[in-house]
Amino acid sequence: MIARNISILKNKHLLLLISLFLLISLLQACSVEAAPTEQPAASQERRGEMRVALQPIVQTDPAFISSDPEILIASSIYDYLVDVTPQNNIAPRLAREWTVSEDGKEYVFSLIENATFHDGTLFTADDVVWTFNRLRDPDVDSPTRDLYSNIESVEATEQFEVTFRLQESNPFFLYDLTDNHALIIKADTPDPVSDFMGTGPFKLVSYTPEDRLVVEANEDYFLEDRPMLEKIEFIFFNDQTAQVEALRSDQVDLVMLISADLFNTIKDETGLIPLEAATNSFDLVRLRADRAPGDDPRLMQALRMATDRQAIFDLVLQGYGALGKDTPIGPMYSQYFSQDLEVPARDIEAAQQLLAEAGYPDGIDLELHTPDTGNRPNLAVVLKDQWADAGINVDVIIEPESVYYGDDGWLAVDLGITGWGSRPYPQFYLDTMLVCGANWNESHFCDSEFDDLAKSAGTTLNEDERVEAYNQIQALLVERGPTMIPYFFSQLGAISDRFTDFEMKPFPGRSDLSTVRQADQ
Amino acid sequence: MTSVSNSSYDSLSVVPSWGRRFTVVVRHLFSSPVTAVGVSITFLFLVVAIIGPFIAPYGANEIIPADARQPPSADHWFGTDNLGRDVFSRVLLGAREILILAGLGTVLAVFLGTFFGLLTGYAGGWFDEITMRIFDSLLALPALLLALLLLGTVGNSRYSILIVIIVVYTPIVARVVRSVVLTVKQQGFVEAARLVGETRTRILLREILPSVLPTLSVESALRFSYAIFLVASLGFLGVGVQPPSPNWGLMVKEARAYASLIPWALFFPALAISMVVIGVNLFADGLKSILSPGQVE
Repeated sequence: MIARNISILKNKHLLLLISLFLLISLLQACSVEAAPTEQPAASQERRGEMRVALQPIVQTDPAFISSDPEILIASSIYDYLVDVTPQNNIAPRLAREWTVSEDGKEYVFSLIENATFHDGTLFTADDVVWTFNRLRDPDVDSPTRDLYSNIESVEATEQFEVTFRLQESNPFFLYDLTDNHALIIKADTPDPVSDFMGTGPFKLVSYTPEDRLVVEANEDYFLEDRPMLEKIEFIFFNDQTAQVEALRSDQVDLVMLISADLFNTIKDETGLIPLEAATNSFDLVRLRADRAPGDDPRLMQALRMATDRQAIFDLVLQGYGALGKDTPIGPMYSQYFSQDLEVPARDIEAAQQLLAEAGYPDGIDLELHTPDTGNRPNLAVVLKDQWADAGINVDVIIEPESVYYGDDGWLAVDLGITGWGSRPYPQFYLDTMLVCGANWNESHFCDSEFDDLAKSAGTTLNEDERVEAYNQIQALLVERGPTMIPYFFSQLGAISDRFTDFEMKPFPGRSDLSTVRQADQ
Repeated sequence: MTSVSNSSYDSLSVVPSWGRRFTVVVRHLFSSPVTAVGVSITFLFLVVAIIGPFIAPYGANEIIPADARQPPSADHWFGTDNLGRDVFSRVLLGAREILILAGLGTVLAVFLGTFFGLLTGYAGGWFDEITMRIFDSLLALPALLLALLLLGTVGNSRYSILIVIIVVYTPIVARVVRSVVLTVKQQGFVEAARLVGETRTRILLREILPSVLPTLSVESALRFSYAIFLVASLGFLGVGVQPPSPNWGLMVKEARAYASLIPWALFFPALAISMVVIGVNLFADGLKSILSPGQVE
């Protein structure tokens, strides 16, 4: 009886399996039939459609975009006046060329004369003036308001010529113009949130929030041979793992901003090209310098001496990035980075000695705060283990990112880890993170010698002087700074090998999709 | 339950001794294979919790950079995780934390629940009404949601988890105890004790409590298994315990990102959670069938 029951059971299972198998093969046959059969065409012809996996976007008004996906979409629909290359040089875009006055206070830009907006109107200097006045407008209150507060006036001096006048000279003004938000919108656009009226290589076809945004090639784009794709679909995924799975199962063609672990799972997959871009993004370990216990710089030195950077680099980054030297001026800024600067190697006895000198002969207990994103929790756990050898006992406190940054808790804690994004030039970090009283001076560092050096580096028009100032700043920070920067991490991604000519930039949102081509079969 | 339905002072001497009762219960537990498995698993994990720190080959937070991401081997029985920590040691050492947190929380919740259950059930009236309505409102929220709300209020720490277990489970225990008390207090022996002039405390502790005990022990075992799961779930959600604690739920959360690369780091803590929860549940089920009326005599 029992035996018969089992055999019936088995038969049922078998039947089910067979039908399932049939169903799957049928489905597969259908999907193969349905797949578009591309004819090989001349490589210069515009063709093909790419599907890009992104986190969902919220902001579509260029003046307010902030996440990588928002920036990637906006910069394919709009254009910058000038752009920055992966090597951190300034490249022309809507501005053809420019001249700077002797005193560094007046910038005159000659504009492209054959660019049109997606509705066909000609792009002129008035659009630039309107865009930058909007970015400076206190009523609009874009995040760029402070950045552009140094601009005295923006004027259309001719139909295709714009003149910026500055209150004070700023050697980084061209970099400021490449800010993510400085995308040129058609003058007097009634609603920049939903009008998508730019001059960019792609124009909007449809936008379904939280689902996808579709763009097609702008046939009248001012650059010859661009864009090379017919269409791009930005498909939104909430989850990084889901994005990678979609890439693997050929539902999307490009993913960016993925973790080293996910990257490791796909980097050897056939049909995919791994993407890695060196950046100046880093995780900052900093100790408040304005109150006990961090007001004694020997404590920070002891933390540094107790740290094994190479082990952190191997464990936490798995080799994707570069070792740091405790200052925000990373190896990406090859002209400014101090190659010869020595960071103390791990030396537990020296660390204990420093601790004792600072008044903690029996070790010290600290709380280490960190947001729950990226590599930061792993970094905190490894630091806890390494520091314990020197008698530095930390309790790791991991908080959701919104909690850590909300209510300015990250500015208040004594010992914390904070993630900082990549910027095209290093002055930004000094001015916002380390100068006395700066808005984001989370370590409450206040050092007049440092401030003088930072000021001269940020205002001098002489490049040699700047290099010298940056060198001194790096030496000073290693000697008595409140920061430890164990590594700079790379951005990772992958693209289907059916596409070529894609270059992922250090800030992945600023990658140029107009150069991407469908590979010849 | 019938074993204690006596009403005179010397009644307890007639009842089988606690020691004998225990042997009877244990014999019954091992008479059913399913229950025996449950008891063995529970016992195994209790032993691990006690001797874990002495037999674990590595420290819970001991990072061995050279051994990171190794599959199970003779050196690392359960492999190593993404940071080079020995998964076997972490699972062993995690047993103590999770069992102590869940166990202590359960004991306190059962104690408080019994206290409120006895009082409200016996006293009735406005005290019963108010207490029970408060408990009802706590029970209306799903346990995990209530836990998250509480942790958001009292802050993240081990003590907060204890508080969470107590707040979440006290009402449940109280309701169960109260329902037993409501039936028992109608019975003759309680009535008789009252007529004899026994104090209220004495009636509650010596007449009513013994009748509640069988139900209570089943309920405690069940609560214990839920508490283990709650502690692990909170760890998985990243609240309550902080890294690098070897909380099994937290280990699953951390290993999730690496699931396809180092699956063992995910599998073993998950296995530990399911085994101990299933074990305690089987144990509770067995206990229930044994302690139902008519079984223990």
